[in-house]
Parts: sequence; structure tokens; C-alpha cells
Amino acid sequence: MWYRLLRFLRAAAIYAVLTIFAVIMLFPFLVMVFTSLKTPADTFSYPPRLLPREQVTITLPGYERPLPLHWVRRENSELLPMALVEDNVRVGIFAPLRADGTPDPSRQVMRRFGEVKVAGGETPKTVMLNGVEAPVYLVSVNGEVQEMVVLTRTAVGRFVNPDNPQDVAVANVRLSPPVTRLTARPENYLAVVSLLGFDRALTNTALITLLTVIGQLTTSVLGGYAFARLRFPGRDQLFLVYLGTVMVPFVVLIIPLYQLMVAIGWINSMPALILPWLYTAYGTFLMRQFFITIPREIEEAALIDGASRLTILTRIFLPASVPALATLATFAFLHAWNSFFWPLVVVNTGNTRAQVLTLALNVLRGRAADSPNLILAGAAISIVPPTLIFALAQRYYVESVASSGLKG
Amino acid sequence: MSPARVLALLVIWHGVLSLGLFGVGISGLLRAWHALDVVRGAAHAAAVWLAVLSAAAALCIARRAHLGRTLSLVTHYLVFVAALIGLASLLDWFKGLDDLADYAARGTPFLMAFVIVVGYAVRTYERRERPVSPLRRAIGAAVMIAGGVGLALSVGITTALVSWVAKLVAGGWEALGWIGLMIASLFMLRVMWRAPVALWLGARSVFNERLTGWLFLSPNLLGFALFFAGPLLFSLYVSFTNWDAFARRDWVGLENYARVFTIVVQPLATPDQPASEALDIRAYSELFRVHLPGQSFLVGARDRLFWIALGNTLRFGAMAVPLSVVPALLLAVLLNTRLPGMRLYRTLYFIPSIAAVVGVALIWQWMYNSQVGWINYFITSAINAINQVLGTRIPDPQIRWLADSNYALLSVVIMSAWQWIGFNTVLFLAGLQTIPRELYEAATVDGANGRQRFFYITLPMLAPTTLYVLITSTIQALQVFDQVFIISNGTGGPGTSTLTMTLNLYQNGFQSFRQGYASALAWVLFVVIFIFTLFQFRRQRQASGAYDL
Repeated sequence: MWYRLLRFLRAAAIYAVLTIFAVIMLFPFLVMVFTSLKTPADTFSYPPRLLPREQVTITLPGYERPLPLHWVRRENSELLPMALVEDNVRVGIFAPLRADGTPDPSRQVMRRFGEVKVAGGETPKTVMLNGVEAPVYLVSVNGEVQEMVVLTRTAVGRFVNPDNPQDVAVANVRLSPPVTRLTARPENYLAVVSLLGFDRALTNTALITLLTVIGQLTTSVLGGYAFARLRFPGRDQLFLVYLGTVMVPFVVLIIPLYQLMVAIGWINSMPALILPWLYTAYGTFLMRQFFITIPREIEEAALIDGASRLTILTRIFLPASVPALATLATFAFLHAWNSFFWPLVVVNTGNTRAQVLTLALNVLRGRAADSPNLILAGAAISIVPPTLIFALAQRYYVESVASSGLKG
Repeated sequence: MSPARVLALLVIWHGVLSLGLFGVGISGLLRAWHALDVVRGAAHAAAVWLAVLSAAAALCIARRAHLGRTLSLVTHYLVFVAALIGLASLLDWFKGLDDLADYAARGTPFLMAFVIVVGYAVRTYERRERPVSPLRRAIGAAVMIAGGVGLALSVGITTALVSWVAKLVAGGWEALGWIGLMIASLFMLRVMWRAPVALWLGARSVFNERLTGWLFLSPNLLGFALFFAGPLLFSLYVSFTNWDAFARRDWVGLENYARVFTIVVQPLATPDQPASEALDIRAYSELFRVHLPGQSFLVGARDRLFWIALGNTLRFGAMAVPLSVVPALLLAVLLNTRLPGMRLYRTLYFIPSIAAVVGVALIWQWMYNSQVGWINYFITSAINAINQVLGTRIPDPQIRWLADSNYALLSVVIMSAWQWIGFNTVLFLAGLQTIPRELYEAATVDGANGRQRFFYITLPMLAPTTLYVLITSTIQALQVFDQVFIISNGTGGPGTSTLTMTLNLYQNGFQSFRQGYASALAWVLFVVIFIFTLFQFRRQRQASGAYDL
């Protein structure tokens, strides 16, 4: 009995920790998706809120524009949604005088100056407050007229009860939270796409990714097969060299590769973004490791039947290596889709023909700094396609990351 | 024809080919040497090499050695590839990718590619072992053909063909030369591969397997040579020059490396003596001061930014690596409990690591907003809650994450760690699943508690995985670039607080165009990464000795 309870508690604790981390991992993405659906004003609301909301407005007879609704706290401390008809109304905070001649802030009320009269008629009545002569006003509270002095002057909004247009209230606009409702503005995405050649960047990135994936699969399958199955002198030494190249950081290559692109005139053009990436050491390594597990007997039987090496590769090896191909394709996809440093170097800012998504995002960040909803819509466009690909291939991909430990 | 006559013809052909290649190669090499044109020089040097190969092939064929066949096949294959590249650049096939992008921007090519995929699915998809009916196969094939034609038309095949013909005609002798070379080399490949000549030269199936191996590897090798090995060597050369990416490229020996590493230590008369008095500020700038009792020293460097970038990068690694490895280990141990639903969690944790760093950086930049961002909101809420419950008066720090030079690097660390945790978790999980269950069972029988099992079984058994995760994370951390570029708009700011080594390299190479110096920086970074890798390997080897069973 105790043992089972303990096991249950342990499982509950494990799930709790895992869920907390899952929330941490997913929260930024939720922020991205929901912010990208917000109105610009909504993005700057504080405290921040996740779901996109918009101000509810109402049209009242006698007013041309739709009026924003706010929650207003009435004098009977009831919260009521009311329409803001006039902002920046000058009001005073009035308080009655105590017996000792000082104002009593606990019984203060707020009134517009148009609503109150100065006490004393022809000769205004005044009292001395803190050494200053202060006028006394006649203020009606719950139908009873009292003499009061002004504590402070401020600017507030004038609100109207939509159900009863005679019911008017004044309140501080900032302290009256706006009435909001859930909303979604998918048109943010259209706005981003039509902005700054983002559509061109999107198709360019798609094309680059497609060609890179096809190219990397081709070279890696051929090379992997040669390393795994064909015997030729120098094979094993060459394979060691290939393994070693994984250790060389890309930054060492970036200047000579840039110079190469300058020399053959590929700066600002698509081939510079595709052709250098058709060969990959880790892809070749991945395919080789997979091919080596395929039993030799099948292949030998086919060879005796007179099949060529290419036939064996396409008819026997490829159908058997869907998991490895899916993994490699996902790697290549992520690499091509997410790459930033290399496009930054070979494509100049302002060039549109060879623009890619990550560069466009970088430009967008600068140009649309005041509308985070657009920036995050752009981020979503760059993040959602890889996530979908990952969702399709994750079964193979995560497994083979686990077994090979390759980093893209 | 008799074998002897055919082989004689082949020898003559190889001789002619060799002479032609040699003449073209040497003259081109001389011109490229004068113009300091590296690419043209490399291309013509390749031609000279091919001439040598061809001559060797002629000699070996004359002696009826099988090596002659191999050399001849290799020569002709390389000539074919070279002619193909020549023709491609004559017809602007590479630049054609730009036009392809223009057509792709209209969207139809993607649609057509999709149509082809649909056709393929119709043709081949079978359910429950029921063979695909001939009708469906026919329909699928028709759809695929239609999609293919549509794709060709939508990427402007007609205009492309017209322009190729026009360029071929305009190219005149050059075009004819490339096409002639291609046809000739293909013909010779066929002659050499086929039975009579192959048999006369003593071909065996082992030789054919070797040749197939190199053939299959050749696309890879071409990429390896052109885009990896060649550039790598060239980079080393450039690091010894003062190349400014344009005209000037003088050999300066170790000057770049000297500039990277030179630091001076100057004793100061008073602790706050201005740097201009103690240092030659035309060559050196102040890095930091050391105050010892009775004497202060000023440390200056020729390239102050390198040392700052090195410091920032090491600090970044020192924070980001543990922050992404330790939680990953914890999560992996929890995921390894084999309760239901663990695969879902594993997948969820993995998602950040596949997202574009640029996009992720933009999200975090918004969350770090000091006024309306989520991070500060959470901090404020937490502090308010603590203050209310405990009655304390902890002030709200209101950190200006990305604008405050004390916090900017930390911001990048948190963001990067968040992105790397999932990946490391998967690696750890894989390592955990190789640990035999019997070890835990035996330990439990011996009375070991959970903590002891973790420290005496899990950690030692996981050592190889841990090493691997640490190495890859460190290498990744040392190269951090995208995040800091986006967060600081490429400046490394505020101040120099997020200037990492790679960003410093980028600024030197592509903003100031000191490419020689930037190459030296790249090699220094390479060596630093290499040292870390070696260091971790060695430590691991020493540590693992203690745990040997």
C-alpha cells in the first residue's frame, strides 16, 4: 500500500518536472504565435498577456465614431462597462473640511468643475489652507449639498453608460481597464509577406532548400555506398580524413569561400547559396554507417545476376534506407533553411534576387522595430516549416541523432 | 582491327591530349600568375596535371599495363567534368539558378513539383498488399508526365533553350571545343570500359570495383576539394598576408598572428596614471589594470578587441555549456523512467533546436523587452509574491536585459541554453538506454539508495556520452554568432559586451575588409576549439581509469 502510494507520488513528481520544462520550452513559441496575431497596440500592453485581444467599441446615437468601452468603478464600487466619450476632462478632487479646518481626504469625491458652484455667491467664500487662500465649492453628494475645497486637479475621461445615456461618470482613463475581447489578425502575415520582398525571400529559401536536399542526398548516397561497400585503395584513410573534417569550424572556410565566390562572380547570386553545400561530410558518414548494416548476401546475389552497382544501389539499398534518408533530408533541410552566416556574407543588404528568409528577418527587425507583431509573424514564417518537417520525420530523426550524435 | 593497332591509336590520342592540355595549361598559368588570379591559376594548374596524367596513361598503355586503363579512365572522366563545367559557365548555367529563382517566385514551379509528387503517389502507393491496378499506374504516370512538362515550362525551359542556342552560336570555337571534348572523352570512356580493350589491358573485376568506388565518390571528392580542402589551404595562406579583399595582397609572414597575440605589461607610476603616458597608444591600447600592493600594472594589447572577444566567448561557453548540459542530464534521467508519454516530452524538448536561430533570437529579443517583456514581468511577479508572503522588501531589479552591458551576454546565454537543452537531452537519453538494467538491480539488492545509484552507476557509465555532449556543446558555444549578431545588430554591443570571436572575425573580415587578419583570427579560433577538444578527451581518459570495472 505505502509502496504504491510512493510510486504514484514519484510518477507525479516526474510528470510535474517534465511538464514545467515542456512549458519553458514551448512558451517562447506560444509568445511568437500569439503575438504575431495581435494588433500593434496590444503588443505593448502591460502586464503582458498571451492571447491577442482588442478593444471593444460601441456606437452610441449622437456620436460619430465608435466609442471604446472601459471598465469604470462607480461610486457604489460597482464595475460597469462604459463608453469613453471625452478624454482629458479637467476635474478636481474635492473634500469637506473637518471641524479643525483641515480637509478630510477620507470623504473625497471627484467632480467636473462645471458641475460645482463656488460657495458664497457674489463674494466667493474662501478658507486658509496651508497658508494659501482656497476657494470653497458647493458639491452635491447623494443629493445633499456640502461645502468642500479642492485637494488636487487632474484630467480624467468622461464615460457614458451605454444602456442609459443619462448616466455619466468621470474616472481616470488609465485606471479604468479597457473592455477587450479575443481576436486574431492573420492579416499580419500577409502584411509581412508583402513587406520588403519577403515573398521573394520565401520562394528563394524554398528553392535553395529543395536543391540542397536533393544534392546532398545524391552525393551522400553515392559516397556512402562507396565507403561502405566498394573496396578500393585509400578508402579507409580517406574516410578518416572525412571524419576529421567535421572538427573544422565553418569560420575557417568563410573567408576563402567568399573569395572564391568573388573570383567566379557569384556574389549576390543563387549558385553561391546552393553549390558549395551540395557536398557534406557528415551526410556521407551517416549514409555509410547505415549502408554498412545492410546484409551483404542480398547484394552478392544481385551481383551474380549481373546487376550493376547503380542498380543495386537504387533497387536494394535505397528502399531499405528510408530512415537514414529521412534523417539526412531533415538535416539538410534544417541546415539550408536556417543558415544565416553564409547568406549574410555573400548576399548584400538590399539585394532582392538572392534574398533569403533569415536575411529578410534581419532586415525586418530593423525596419519594423515598432511593430513586434510583424517581426514575430516573420519569425513564425521561418520557424513553422522546419517544425512541420520535423513533425513528419521526427521518429527517424530523433532516433538517429541519438545513435549518431551528429549536430547539424 | 588488331589489338596492337587499337592500343597504338589510344597511345597517340593520349599523347595529343597531353600536349594540348599542357600547352593550354602552361600558357594560362603564366597569364594567371601575372594577374594574381588564383581561380584561373588553379584551373590551369589542373589542366597541367591532367596533361601529366594523360602522358602517364600513354606510357602505361604502350606497355600494356592495366594502370594505363585506370589512368586513361580517370583522365577522361576529369576532362569530361572540366568540359562540362566550362560549357556550363559559357552557357551561364550557374547564373541560370538566379533565373530559376525568378520563375520560382511566381509559385507555379512549386505547384508543378507537387503535381509530380501526387502523380508518383498515385502510381506507387499501395494499401494492404493489394497491387496497384494498371489503370491507376497509367493515370499516375500521365499526371507525372504532365507535371514534368508543366515544371519545365514554368521554369522557362523555352526561353532557356533559345538563350543557350544563342550563346552556343556566339561562343563559336570555345563552345565547339567544350562540346568536342565532352563527346571525345565520353567515347574514350566507353572504349576503355568495354570488353576488348579492357581485356587486352588485363582488366579484372577487382579493378572495376575500385574504379566504381572512385566514380561514386567523385561528386563528394569534387565538393571536398573545391569547397573544403582548397579553401582551407588557401585560408592558411591568406592568414600570412595583409589581404584587404581587393588589390593588396602582400606576404607579411607572422605579422597577423603577432598582432593577435602581442600584449605588453607596463608598471604604472600611480594606479590611475592615464594609459597614454604608459603605453605607445599608436600601437597599443589598454586592456585592463592590475593593482598589487605597492605597484600597479597596466596590461595593453595590440588588438584589444581580440582579447575582449576571447574573454566574452570563454565566459559565454563557461555559462552556456553547464546551463545546457546539467538540465539536459536531469531531464534525460527523468525521461528514462519509461513512464508512458515520454516520447512526446522528448519531441517537445527537441523543437527549439530545430528552429532558426535568427527567428528564435527575435522571439527572445521581444521577451527580454525591459518594459513590456515577459521575462521582466515574471521576475516582477515573483518578487512581488515573495515580498507579500515573506513580508520582505526585495526591490524589483527591472533589468534592461539587452541594453545593459552587464546582462547582454547573460541574455544570449539563457537563450542559447534554452535552444540546446533538448538536443543534449536526446543524446543523454540514448546514453542512458545503453546502461544495463542489471547494474541497478544488483546495486538495489546491495542496498544502494537512489542518490548512490546515480553517482556510482549512472554518471560513470554515462561518461562517454557526457564527454561527447560537452565537446559538441563547447564547440558550438565557441562559434556562437547568429544569436549575438541579431541581438546586437552586428555590433557586439552594448559596448563590447556581446562581441564574440566569430563576430569579431566577421567585423574584421567583412566590415573592415581586413581579410588576411580575419583569416589569422579564424585559425586561432580553430586552434582554440581543437585545444578544448583535446583537453576534454584527455581529462576523460584520466577520469575513466578510476571507474574501470
